[in-house]
Amino acid sequence: MLPSPSAPGPVRQWAKLIDNQACIGCHACTTACKSENEVPLSVTRTYVKYVDVGTFPNARRAFQVTRCNQCADPPCTHACPTAAMYRRGDGIVDFDKSVCIGCKACIAACPYDAIFINPQDHSAEKCNFCAHRIDRGLEPACVVVCPTQAILVGDLGDPEAKVTRMVNRHAVQVRRPEKDTRPKLFYRGAHQTTLDPLAATRPEGGLFLWSEQSGDVVSGHPAPRNGAAAPGDGAAGGDRAGGGAAAAGAHGAGPNSSAAAMLAYDVAHHAPWDWRVSLYTLTKSVAAGAYLVPALLLLLGALSPGSALWTWGAPALGAAFLGITGVILIADLEHPGRFALIFLRPQWRSWLVRGAFVIAGYGAVLALHAGAAAAARPDLLGTLRWAGIPLAAFTSVYTAYLFAQAKARDLWQSPLLPPHLLVQAVAAGAAALLPVAAAVEPGAVPALARTLAAAAGAHLLLVAGELTLTHATAHARLAVHEMTRGRFRNPFRLGVAAMAVAAAAPALGAWAAPFALLGLFAYEHAYVQAGQAVPLA
Amino acid sequence: MSDRSPTGSGDGRAETFYPGPSGGPLAAFPPKERWDDWAELDSRAWPRRVERRCMLVPTTCFNCESACGLLAYVDRETMEIRRFEGNPEHPGSRGRNCAKGPATLNQIQDPDRILYPLRRTGARGAGGWERISWDDALNLIAERIGKALRESRQHEIMYHVGRPGEDGFTERMLAAWGVDGHNSHTNICSSSARAGYQFWMGIDRPSPDHARADVIFLVSAHLETGHYFNPHAQRIMEAKQRGAKLVVLDTRLSNTATHADHWLAPQPGSEAAIHLAIANHLIRNDLYDVAFVERWWNWKEYLRAEHPGRPETFEAFREVLRELYADSTFEHAAAESGIDADVLREVADLVASAGPRLATHNWRSAASGNEGGWQVSRTLFLLNALLGAIAVPGGTYPNAWNKFVAKPIRMPHRHPSHWNELSWPVEYPLAQNELSFLLPHLMKERGGKIDVYFTRVYNPVWTNPDGFSWIEMLSDEERVGLHVALTPTWNETATFADLVLPMGHASERHDIHSYETYDGQWIGFRQPVLRAARERRGETITDTRQVNPGEVWEENEFWLELSWRMDPDGTLGVREFVESVERPGERLTVDEYYGYIFEHSVPGLPEKAAAEGLTPLRYMRRYGAFEVAKNVGPLHEKEVPAEELVDAVEDDFGRVLTRAPKPPPLNIAPTGAPGGDAEGRRHAGVRVDGKVLRGFPTPSGKLEFWSSTLAGWGWRDAAVPLCLPSHVAPAAMAPDEMVLISTFRVPVQIHTRSANSKWLDEIAHTNPLWIHPRDAAPKGIRTGDLTRVETEIGHYVVRAWVTEGIRPGTVACSHHMGRWRTREQQQSQRQAMATVSLSREGNRWKLARESGVTPFDSPDPDTRRIWWTDVGVHQNLTFPVHPDPVSGMHCWHQAVRVRKAEPGDAYGDIVVDTAKSHEVYRRWLAKTRSAAGHSPDGTRRPDWLMRPVKPVPAAYRLPGRQG
Repeated sequence: MLPSPSAPGPVRQWAKLIDNQACIGCHACTTACKSENEVPLSVTRTYVKYVDVGTFPNARRAFQVTRCNQCADPPCTHACPTAAMYRRGDGIVDFDKSVCIGCKACIAACPYDAIFINPQDHSAEKCNFCAHRIDRGLEPACVVVCPTQAILVGDLGDPEAKVTRMVNRHAVQVRRPEKDTRPKLFYRGAHQTTLDPLAATRPEGGLFLWSEQSGDVVSGHPAPRNGAAAPGDGAAGGDRAGGGAAAAGAHGAGPNSSAAAMLAYDVAHHAPWDWRVSLYTLTKSVAAGAYLVPALLLLLGALSPGSALWTWGAPALGAAFLGITGVILIADLEHPGRFALIFLRPQWRSWLVRGAFVIAGYGAVLALHAGAAAAARPDLLGTLRWAGIPLAAFTSVYTAYLFAQAKARDLWQSPLLPPHLLVQAVAAGAAALLPVAAAVEPGAVPALARTLAAAAGAHLLLVAGELTLTHATAHARLAVHEMTRGRFRNPFRLGVAAMAVAAAAPALGAWAAPFALLGLFAYEHAYVQAGQAVPLA
Repeated sequence: MSDRSPTGSGDGRAETFYPGPSGGPLAAFPPKERWDDWAELDSRAWPRRVERRCMLVPTTCFNCESACGLLAYVDRETMEIRRFEGNPEHPGSRGRNCAKGPATLNQIQDPDRILYPLRRTGARGAGGWERISWDDALNLIAERIGKALRESRQHEIMYHVGRPGEDGFTERMLAAWGVDGHNSHTNICSSSARAGYQFWMGIDRPSPDHARADVIFLVSAHLETGHYFNPHAQRIMEAKQRGAKLVVLDTRLSNTATHADHWLAPQPGSEAAIHLAIANHLIRNDLYDVAFVERWWNWKEYLRAEHPGRPETFEAFREVLRELYADSTFEHAAAESGIDADVLREVADLVASAGPRLATHNWRSAASGNEGGWQVSRTLFLLNALLGAIAVPGGTYPNAWNKFVAKPIRMPHRHPSHWNELSWPVEYPLAQNELSFLLPHLMKERGGKIDVYFTRVYNPVWTNPDGFSWIEMLSDEERVGLHVALTPTWNETATFADLVLPMGHASERHDIHSYETYDGQWIGFRQPVLRAARERRGETITDTRQVNPGEVWEENEFWLELSWRMDPDGTLGVREFVESVERPGERLTVDEYYGYIFEHSVPGLPEKAAAEGLTPLRYMRRYGAFEVAKNVGPLHEKEVPAEELVDAVEDDFGRVLTRAPKPPPLNIAPTGAPGGDAEGRRHAGVRVDGKVLRGFPTPSGKLEFWSSTLAGWGWRDAAVPLCLPSHVAPAAMAPDEMVLISTFRVPVQIHTRSANSKWLDEIAHTNPLWIHPRDAAPKGIRTGDLTRVETEIGHYVVRAWVTEGIRPGTVACSHHMGRWRTREQQQSQRQAMATVSLSREGNRWKLARESGVTPFDSPDPDTRRIWWTDVGVHQNLTFPVHPDPVSGMHCWHQAVRVRKAEPGDAYGDIVVDTAKSHEVYRRWLAKTRSAAGHSPDGTRRPDWLMRPVKPVPAAYRLPGRQG
C-alpha cells in the first residue's frame, strides 16, 4: 500500500538533495515539471543552470538544478500579505493560488528568484516538492524522471533516510546561506560558480550556449571576467565599443569568483516591481507629506492654525494622493479584485498588510480632519494631528520595511532608508503644496520653499551617503553600480540633477515643485529598479 | 538495478511498490494493480484536493532511438492523455527519461501538426496543399506501385527511412514486395563506427556493459545524446558513483566530457592514433590478455596472408604485433592530437588497469566526422580485444547478443531479384549502409529514376549534406515520379512531396523494438495509447485512426492496407504476406501481427502473461515491455551441439562448416552471415582449443584483427586496425582553414523530430558557432558577432559563441537548429522554423532569412508566450558530400574558413553552388576502390556483410561477369 499522508505517524520534514556529481544537465527535470504542473512557457519552477568553468583543456561545465529552496525560514511566507504562500507542517513551502493577490512581494523577498507569476492564472507559484504527489505517496516528478537519480527527496526527521544520511555524511552546500533562510534543498558537489549568482560572467551578444538571453534581469555578472581581459573576451574587443551598457568593466568590480567562469545557460528572470512601485512611493510621499509638512510648519509657528493649507489643503491633497496611491497599488496587483483579502485574511508579518492598515488609519485621520474642517471645529484638528503626524510619517516610512522584507535585495537593506523616505515625504509634500500655496495662500510659499530646499538637500546627502558608504555585499555593490553607472544611470542622474534644482526652491518658488516631484520619481525609479537588477539565481 | 526492483506482486494482497531513487516511503509510480483507475490529485487545483482518475497505459518514446518506456496518464473522463512519465516495467530505461520523454505531450498537442492527408495543388515545392482522403491516397500509391511491379520496375520503388524506430516490420514489407528499395539514413549517422565494429566481429554495434565496468572509455557523448542516451547515461553514472573511471574523447566540451576523469580533446582525426598509442602500451608491456588473443583473434590467418615468411606460431604473432605498433608511441599520438603525452600515458595505465572490465563505445563522433573514421571504432575495439573485455561483465558485448528481434508472422521468403544501384553503387562494395546521401548525384550522373519514393521520418533536404542538390532532385518530376512523405509534422523535405501522409507520434502507433542497453535482451512495445485504453474499457478498435487525432494514422496499418490494395488478386505474390492466417481472405491486422509475435517468437512471454491471466498481446498492451533474457554472456564461447555437426569440414584455421540445417532462430537480430561452401554446407562455428564453438559471425568465425574482406576487396593496406589520414588532418588543410565539427547534439533536441516541442524549443533554439578565444581574438570576433563560415561549396552566416570549451583551431556548430520554410509554404512548424526566401541563379542557390519565430494564436495559449525569435542557421546546406571510400559514411567534418561577416551579410544567409558540390562528389568518388576493379569473386559486395532486404545471389553478380 502507498502510505497515506493522513495516516498517523511522525510528522515528516521533507528535504531534497541534488547530487551534482550525478547530474548530467539533461533538463529532464525541467520538462517533467512543466508537464506535471502544467507550467506555461516563459516561466519555470525548476531549470538547470550551466556555467562553463576553466580554460581549455582544463575546462568543465558545472550544472545546477535551480529552484525553490524550501527554506525552513522562508522570506516569501513572511512577505505574503494573505498567507497564500505558507509552510506546511511537513516543511513544504506551499501556496494557495486562490488567495494570491499578485502583489509579487514573495518574488521580491525570495533570495533565490524561485517564484514567478503564472501568466495563465496570474498567481504566484514555484516548486512545492510536488506536494500533490507526495500526499498521494509518490515522489516528485523531477525525482522520478531523472536518468541518473541525481535528485532525491527524503525526510530529514528520519536519520535512516537516504537524503538525511547524505546531508549528514557528505560535504553538502546550500545556496546563499547568508540570507538566513535555512534551505532544505541541499547540493552535493556544487560549484561556487553556480551557487553564487555573481560568480560567473554574463556572456555578451544576448546569447547563451544554445539559446537567446531573455528577461529584464539576465543572470551572470555583467563585468568582463575577473575584471580583466580574459583571453579572447576583453582582449578581442579592442576595436569595439563596450557592447552595451551591460559591459560594466569600468567600475573595477568583477565576477564574484577568481575562477574563469562563463554563464552558459540560464532562463529569463524578471524584476517583480516596475515603475508603478516607484510611482506609488512618490504618490504616497506626496500623500504623507501633504499633511506632515503643514502640521510641522504649524508646530514651528511658520503657519497659522487657520491656514487654508492646513485646514483644507492638507486633507484634500493628502486624500487625493492617498487615493491615487491606492489605485496604483491595486493596479499593480495581478489580481486587483482580490485586493480586499489584505484586510480579510491579513498575514500580520507582512509589511504590505501592516502598511495597508497604516494607510487606512492615515486615510481615516484625513477624513476626520476634513470632517472637522467642514464642521468648523479647528480645535479638533489640533487634537487629531497627534494621531495624524505619526500615521503620516509611518505611511511614508513603512515602505522601507516593506523593501527590507524583500530579503533578496541587498540594496534595500539600508538603515538609511526609513529616514530617507521621511525626508522624501517632506520634500514631496512641500513640493506638492507649493503651487497650491501660490494660488490660495501666497504667504506660505517662502516657508514651503525653505522646507523643500532643506528636504532636497537632506535627500541629496542621504543619496550621497547611500552611494559612498561601503556596501557589505557584492550584490549591493553591483546594484549601486547599476543605479549610478549601469542600466539605470539616466533616471538616477536626472533624479539627482532635478533635486539639485529643487534645492533652489527659495529662489524658484512654486517653479521648484515639478523639479522636486520629477527628481523624486526618477531617483526612486532608479533605486527600485537597480535593487532588482542584480541576478539572484 | 536491484534497488529499483518492485516489491510485492499481484498476489491479491500486497500491491506492487515501485521504489524510487530516494528510498523511503514514497513510491516512484502508482502500483500496477491500480493502473486501470489511479486517482491522482490535480496539480493546478492544488491545494484543493481535486481528484483526476487516470488510466496508465505504456508505450515507447519515439524521439531518439533509445526507445525508452513511457507511461501515458489517460484521463478516464475525457479520454485524453494528460502527460507521459517513464515506464517502470521497461528494463532498458527503468522508469526514467530524458527531457524529450515528457515533451512527447507537446508533440501530440502541437497546434501545427498535420492532421489529414495532403496532396499538393501547384507545382512541386510551390507550397500549396489540399486535403484528400486516405482512400484516394492509398489507391493512387497502390496503383502506381502495382504497375511498377507488374512491369518489373522494382528498382523504381524506394523507401527512405530516417528514424526507423522499429524492428523488422518495414523490411518484411519490402521483402513481401520483392523490392530492393530500402534506403536508410545510416550513412549520414553512424555507419563508419558500425563498419569498424563489423570488420572485427561481424556485428556492427557495441553493447558496453557500463554498469559493471571499471573503466568506461567513450568516443561519444552518451551523457547527453546518442544510441542509447538515457539507458546508457544512467548506467554510466551508476558505475561512476561506484568508483569507475570515465575517459571521454571529444574535441568540444560536452556535458559528458564534464564528468570525465580524463577529458581528451584531440585534434580531429587523431583519435585512432590515441587508441593505437594505448594499444601499443598494452602490447609493449605485456599488459594484455594473451590467452584471449590467442584463442579468439584470427592471427594465424593473418600471419599466413601477410607474413608468409614467419612461423605460424602465436609467439611469432606477438612479435609481429609489437613491431606493427612500435611507432604508435605516446609522443607520436601527442604530436597528432595535441594532447600531452603524459596525459595519454596516464589514460593508458587506466585502461590497462581495467582488464576485462573495460566498456568502450564509439557512436558517431570522430567516426562520423573523419575520412577513415571507421578505424576509430576499429582501433577502439582493439583495446577490448586486447584486454579480453568482450562479452564479459563490465566489458563490451556485440550488440546482437543484447538485442532481441522477434521473428514475425509469415516471414517472406522472397529476395529481390534486382540490385539497386542507386543505393548500393558499385564503387562502394564495402559500404556499411546505403549511399543514401549520394542519391541526387547518382541520379544526375547515372540517369536514375524513382517512380515512387517514400520518405519516412526522414528529412534529407534539411538533414543531409548538400540539401540544395536534394531540392534540385526532388523538384524534378521526371526523376522522382511520386514523392510520398510519411511524417507526423511538417518538414523541409515534405515541401517537395506530392503527398504528405500524417503518421502518429509515440502514443499513436504500433512498433516493437529492442536495443542493447546492458547484458540482457528486452523487447519494447509502442502502441496507440488511446486504443489500448479504450480496449481496456471493453471497446473494440479496429483501426488506429479511430483513436488518433484528425485522420492521423500509423505506418503498420498503412503498409498492410497499401500492400493489400496493391495486389488484390494475389498475382504479384504480395497478398499472401498481408493476409490473415486466422481469417483467410481478410487482411492481416496489427493485433494478429503482434499477437503472433508475442505468442510464438518471444520465449518466456506467454508464460509470464499466463501467470497474470493475460494473453501475450494483452500483457504487452498492459506493461509495454518484456525482458527476454538477462546475463546473456559470451555466446561465442557456446559449444555447437554435436547434432549440428553433420558431415562437417574444417579449414586450416578451425572454421567449421556443416551440412545440418540451421535451427530456425526466434531472434533475428541482424548480424553478419558468413557463407558456406559450394557443396551446400553452412557456417557452423569455429574450433578453439579442441572444441567447436559458435564464435563470431565473421568469415573466420573469430575476431578479425586482420580482415580478409578488407584485404580481398582492395584495402589490403587498411586490413588491420590503424590510423588513416583524415580529410581534415592539419596536413590536408590550408593554413587558414579550421575544422568545423557540425554533428554535435544538444541534450534536448533530436534532429528535426523534436521541433515544435515547446518545452524543448524553449530550452534550446539556436546554434552559435563555438570558437576558442585564441582563434576569435585575432579575427576580432566576440560572442554574438555575425560570423561567416566558408565551406568548399558556399558559406553561411551565424553568430559566434566564444568559449574555452573547444580546441583552438577547431570550431563547432550544433546541427539541430536552422529549420525553415518558404513564405509560400502553407504548412510550418511555427515554434521552430524561420521564414526564408529561396532563390536560384543557375547552380547558385541562396537562402535568406526573412523573419524568425514570433508568438501566434492557437488553441494553446502558450503559443502567444513564445519569447525566442531565433531558430539557428541551417549549416548542412553548405556541406558537400564526403563519402568515405570504405564505409560509405558521409564524413561530416568540414575544413572551413571563419571570419567576421562582411557588410551585406545577414544572419542566416546561406549561399551554395551545387555545381561545386558535384565536383566535390566526383573528387571523393575517385578515392574509391570499385568492385568493378577489386572484387575478388565477380560480385558486387561480400555476401556475408549485413544488408537490408538482401537480393538473390544472382543479383550480387557484377554486370558482365558470370559467377
